[in-house]
Amino acid sequence: MFEHDDDALNRMIDRLREPVEMDPRLDARVMARVAAPGFGARAAGVWEWLRRPRAVALSPLAGLGLAAAAALLIWALLPRVPGTAAPVAADITPVQFVVVAPGAESVSLVGDFNDWDARLTPMRAERDGRLWTVTLPLPPGRHRYAFLVNGARWLADPSAPRAPDDFGTPSSVVTVGG
Amino acid sequence: MRAGDQAAYAVLVARYRARLGRYAVHMLGDHDDAEEALQDAFVRAYRSISRCKDDARFGAWLFGILVNRCRTAGRRAARRQRIFVRDDASLARAAAAEEPEAHDWDGTVRRALDRIAPALREAFLLKHVEELEYEEMAQLTGAKVSALKMRVLRAREQLRALLSEVERV
Repeated sequence: MFEHDDDALNRMIDRLREPVEMDPRLDARVMARVAAPGFGARAAGVWEWLRRPRAVALSPLAGLGLAAAAALLIWALLPRVPGTAAPVAADITPVQFVVVAPGAESVSLVGDFNDWDARLTPMRAERDGRLWTVTLPLPPGRHRYAFLVNGARWLADPSAPRAPDDFGTPSSVVTVGG
Repeated sequence: MRAGDQAAYAVLVARYRARLGRYAVHMLGDHDDAEEALQDAFVRAYRSISRCKDDARFGAWLFGILVNRCRTAGRRAARRQRIFVRDDASLARAAAAEEPEAHDWDGTVRRALDRIAPALREAFLLKHVEELEYEEMAQLTGAKVSALKMRVLRAREQLRALLSEVERV
């Protein structure tokens, strides 16, 4: 959906992943500082640290807790057969999000509830592509969200309160239940 | 302190220098600042190595120290830049020095990184350049996974816009 916009960004990432030359004398400078008189007294023995045997102690209760956590994790990761989805909790409320974005090629809903992942909640166009909607079941609480138009333009919900933001891009707040 | 300690640590420094150096250079945008932050991180790690309880995670623990050093160095650099801004002669020289590389790709990448907020730059570099998992990033930065995902998304969005601005020129 956003591939054509991502070419330059991917090229940038490739460039940034290339090795960066560092001054090889840096090692000597570090070692000179750690070898300075008075420094060693504060340092724990690196050699001792490297050779130190490691044992993992686990009480029966902690072991039981770990096993329960592992079982829960496995259960959570098990693929769900269509039609047998986990039951929806009674306090989950379906919330409809609507935004007017005429001419948009795609609109996604991003927020705390989907880890701000633009791929997870695409919105559907209605009324000749002017209106974009999606309905999402949300647990009670305060959720921050925004709309991402064409994978690039960040849009706050004009009908909802604004969330405080440190990064110069607006987002909104919806409060469910409570 | 035994001689063997320092020899063992020199091996660790040589092993981690390149990868950590790359992060520091991209985060701070200045080679000298990056080397200073990296040097500082190695020295601090040596001083407190007994606090690293899991030797298999030494690299991640060291990376966490570097992330903090880069934050401190970044704040210091920001203060320094504010002082320079009042110096018109320095500003004119800096602008002139930037001219020749105006259309150079490396310069474009650098300027784009410089223009996004440090917290966004940090999240973007850790995710896309250092290729860390969000859980690892959360441990390094102290931020929540959800917040980090938001920062990465916003960084990508802002960088995409900045790069497309350049391509239109």
